[in-house]
Amino acid sequence: MSGNIVELTDNNFDSFVESHPLVLIDCWAQWCKPCHMLAPILDELADELAGKVAFGKLNVDENPGISYRFNISAIPTMLIFKNGVLQEPLIGVRPKEDIKRYLLSKM
Amino acid sequence: MTYDVAVLGMGAAGLQAAITAARKKASTLVLGKPEDSALWSAEVENYFGVPRVKGRELVSIAMEQASAFGAELFKEDAIALSKEEGVFTITSESGRLIQSKTLVFASGISRKKLNIPGEKEFFGKGVSYCASCDCNFYKGVPVAIIGEGSEAAISAELMTNYASRVYWIVETPQASEHLKERAVSAGVELVAAKPKEIVGDSKVAALILSNGRRLAVNGVFIELGARSSTDMAMDLGIIPDPEGTIKVDRNCRTGVEAIFACGDITGKPWQVAKAVGEGCVAGTEAAAMARGV
Repeated sequence: MSGNIVELTDNNFDSFVESHPLVLIDCWAQWCKPCHMLAPILDELADELAGKVAFGKLNVDENPGISYRFNISAIPTMLIFKNGVLQEPLIGVRPKEDIKRYLLSKM
Repeated sequence: MTYDVAVLGMGAAGLQAAITAARKKASTLVLGKPEDSALWSAEVENYFGVPRVKGRELVSIAMEQASAFGAELFKEDAIALSKEEGVFTITSESGRLIQSKTLVFASGISRKKLNIPGEKEFFGKGVSYCASCDCNFYKGVPVAIIGEGSEAAISAELMTNYASRVYWIVETPQASEHLKERAVSAGVELVAAKPKEIVGDSKVAALILSNGRRLAVNGVFIELGARSSTDMAMDLGIIPDPEGTIKVDRNCRTGVEAIFACGDITGKPWQVAKAVGEGCVAGTEAAAMARGV
């Protein structure tokens, strides 16, 4: 995992979201194969967009509170927050360029 | 017996891989359903030396050719793959276990979208394309599985461990009797109809069927076709890209030892010529590796 991705939990989620202007959180689970397809893409993006977008990763199995709060019913789901406000999430595996374009449009 | 080469997919790439490998005296088995290949329903007019031909004619000739060189054709889909001590085990949909020294993925690109109203709108809000990913979110609620092949049968059976009721919407099941029986004995209810529309407010509330019946469900799992190769590839350590394609080098090697890929599954152009070319390379390489030459 990229050093630019922070492991999040139900406990540190809010403070992470609040302390960065633009945040992408990858909601995943160990058994979810598409999540493993997405992971290397987000690793690259986290490095490319370091300093512009803060990347986090949340295991939905271990952190049911956040999954429940954001009504997550499919993984991978990428939650995106701009100045603490939830934007339209990205659901499912997406090509790197699509995710990048979406994030750039939020800057 | 342990085959030298097992090929997944009975289209242009898979059959060419089998022809090439069998001609090189490798014991070869091809799994798949020829009618599921993209070539089967295509009309081809840009293939070398052939002015115009129906895809199914090419496939049928290639099947005979592969058999004539000694390849075994087995018209079933693989539903699971594993590797132990250098030998691959393939589970077919009837439960047959096949062992092979090498594996060639030639199973094409699967069509996953259903294209009915509500499908796009409710994606991630009750519509899912991955039962094994999202099963946990549907504990104690009714769900519907849409699809005719092995992927739907396996997903329906899986969902009985989570959902309160599991409907399998299937007009003409293509999955094997073995998989169908497993699903039914797990408590899956078969509904012979076509899906027409997915409805709800902010989340899925029901699935409307072509016969007018309204099924109250909170989840709709769209699982078309055979169990996807990309899904099984991941069990062996291959990570496909978001389009579901498997990256290969010029020898059709996937990066995971003894696994090759060819045809549409490796990416565009989705042309018979490219599929056949790659099939030839993959078949040659797999046979050479298995036979240690």
